[in-house]
Amino acid sequence: MNHDDLPLYPFVRTCPFHPPEALGAARPQRPVLPVRLWNGERAWVLTRQQEIRQVLADDERFSGRFGQDGFPTVTAARVTVDRNERAFVGMDNPDHDRFRRMFTQEFSVRRMLALQPRITEIAESLVDQLIEAGPPQDLIAMLAVKFPSLVMSLLFGSPYEDHEFIITCAAARHGLRQSPDEAERRARELAAYVGTLIDARMAEPRDDMLSRIIAEHVRPGHLSRDEFAEIGAMILRAGHDTTTNMIGMGALLLMRDAALRTRLIERPSDIRAAVEEFLRFVSPVQFSPRRVARVDVELAGVPIRAGEGLFISLPSANRDEAVFAAPDQIDIDRDNSRHLTFGFGIHQCLGQILARVELQVMFGVLLARLPGLQLAVPEDEVQFKHDMQIYGVHHLPVRW
Amino acid sequence: MKVIVDESKCVGAGQCVWVAPQVFDQRESDGIVILLQPEPPEALHDFVREAVAVCPAAAIRIEE
Repeated sequence: MNHDDLPLYPFVRTCPFHPPEALGAARPQRPVLPVRLWNGERAWVLTRQQEIRQVLADDERFSGRFGQDGFPTVTAARVTVDRNERAFVGMDNPDHDRFRRMFTQEFSVRRMLALQPRITEIAESLVDQLIEAGPPQDLIAMLAVKFPSLVMSLLFGSPYEDHEFIITCAAARHGLRQSPDEAERRARELAAYVGTLIDARMAEPRDDMLSRIIAEHVRPGHLSRDEFAEIGAMILRAGHDTTTNMIGMGALLLMRDAALRTRLIERPSDIRAAVEEFLRFVSPVQFSPRRVARVDVELAGVPIRAGEGLFISLPSANRDEAVFAAPDQIDIDRDNSRHLTFGFGIHQCLGQILARVELQVMFGVLLARLPGLQLAVPEDEVQFKHDMQIYGVHHLPVRW
Repeated sequence: MKVIVDESKCVGAGQCVWVAPQVFDQRESDGIVILLQPEPPEALHDFVREAVAVCPAAAIRIEE
């Protein structure tokens, strides 16, 4: 069947601060939008909160199992990544919950709040180094990349000196331009790397997630070494890339808004609300989650047949006029508790509390230490990540 | 207000503890929800309603 008349997905942004216009145009009239993909196949894009929440909460009728027939993709490399995914991000229940529950306590609110003083020390020390180096500096390289790497090193136990390798592996999964071979090779390399970390902790435990999961789940036989290696690779990729991008975009939003900056410097207790609003506004994950209908269903009056694939657009859900008044404006006083930046349903982000703590800490330290932070280049020279599945900025030259 | 949690649905995302730590906690063993106050005082009701709204797994409900 010919789908040439359908719009090609992913869509392209016209403004770097807003999702593609085609999503906003679809919401009122065609909330369940048919699109054509890179490989000529067709899929649906869900653009409104109502249907998105309905689908993500309904595991009975919608499957999230990666790589199955009809599972929609944005690149050839993503097909390879999906087929080779072994961690619970790509599983349906009951397998998903069985594995996820071995890791949830590692990201609990209590544990994350207990880490906050050490996370603050890391942020302070990185800002010390930035100031020491003197302006101008690239905030991405100096802070946004190093910060989550150091935090993951503390929490997970991955040596900090390996962070460039981990980031390279994450980029090979999250890019839009890499080859299938590279994506597959980097996925294997990262899982093999985590396998060597597991072996090292088996021999010599430390105070880190690697050692705790070995003691609680690998040694008692609930989880194999190789299963843990795949899940560990997932945690490392997710723990680096998303936070880096939120720090970069959040810093840019702060530098563009003097009134907000002044308010947050005077009232640091408002930083929590600002972080939630930045999460809503930036919504860095662009083309996930995805689902396949298990049965024939109807969404917003549109018939979806069993086996057809759906993209859930979180950036579009976070600009849904039915949920947020003036959604394209940043307003830290709004009720933004219904943002879907971390997804919804059983696959909702496992590391979301860690992300919130990291972002609150980093913006708090940045505003306190560098209240005069500003872009060191004209804004139109900032390179945005149009080439990635997780949106952000490649570099952010700043002075203070 | 009476709060009811369904441990079998909980995915340990932690959002209820994040918005209403006086009412919810997570088990140390597996991060699954613990209900601290099944009948929270009125001052906490708005936070509990928010916890219900943000729970990704519909694991919390209230009877009023």
